Amino acid sequence: MEKQSVFNDKTIVGSPTVHLVSMFIVLFVFWMILSGRSETKFIVYGVITAAVTIWITYPLLLIPNKDKTKKYFIFGVNPVKLVTYFCWLMWQLFLANMDVLLATTSQEMAIDPKIVRFYYRNDNPMASAMLANSITLTPGTVTINVEDDGLFEIHALTPGAAAGVLDDTMARKVSYLFDSECDLEAVDEEDA
Amino acid sequence: METVIYLFNTFRDVIASLFLFGSLLFFAGSAIGMLRLPDFYSRIHASGNSETMGITLGFIGLMIHEGATLTTLKMAFVFLLLFIGNPIGSHILAKAVYKTGTPVWTLESKDADKILGKQPAKNDHAQDEPVNNKKTKEEDA
Repeated sequence: MEKQSVFNDKTIVGSPTVHLVSMFIVLFVFWMILSGRSETKFIVYGVITAAVTIWITYPLLLIPNKDKTKKYFIFGVNPVKLVTYFCWLMWQLFLANMDVLLATTSQEMAIDPKIVRFYYRNDNPMASAMLANSITLTPGTVTINVEDDGLFEIHALTPGAAAGVLDDTMARKVSYLFDSECDLEAVDEEDA
Repeated sequence: METVIYLFNTFRDVIASLFLFGSLLFFAGSAIGMLRLPDFYSRIHASGNSETMGITLGFIGLMIHEGATLTTLKMAFVFLLLFIGNPIGSHILAKAVYKTGTPVWTLESKDADKILGKQPAKNDHAQDEPVNNKKTKEEDA
């Protein structure tokens, strides 16, 4: 059985050439920063290393969706959108940090720990991973479980953190980052 | 000219120190939270304080102190790696504890007033005591 080339694989979302070239550039810049030398010999070594690395690892960086009908490149996001999202996330982190810091150091701790549940469905598994990671990164909320059907179980420390999780701002930003529709559905406390 | 460079470097170090002190504030808050919060799940949140704002301000301070060199870029990479890696660690710990069935501490737990630093109401105390004893007996059995 002959192995199928990634260039002929129609299930990959986006262009494999663009993925390979962008990852090559990222890896080469990483090499240059770590080496810090600009002699021709080291630049040639860097080019060869980056090219071989991305050539070998590219099939591993493709993850299938649940139906196995499509393959997503895990770094296949728009860099401009990613930087915008990162800046917004840093501001959210600052606000959440002040909230948790004040709640835990005040005389009477203003905490209300509970588990918050919601459904977030997205065809791209990286979107769910990105949302879960962002929620965990924000102080006051930790993702403790994500089910296959899109059920997120979040432990929230303060009432403000719990409200922030159920508010769909972050989910909409993540969906926009991955060019998809936002499908968020809160689960009532009584049903859970 | 030398005086100007000297003044600029001093000013840069002052700014860097301010960022490092800010980082220290968040680390201290993280340690206080770690001691005061009641259970495992809540303590993970306290560690989140230091691992986001603490390291962000700390790394910004170090980068300003270092100036525009290759080391600054390397520090930026270390910062990004921490930013991606930290939540994964927190999540795995929380998931492991959740799967083993550890109960989540809520405001309904019986030691809630003590943990939150509230004084127990005197009138309710006599009524509460037998109930608490029963609960502990059941737990023992």
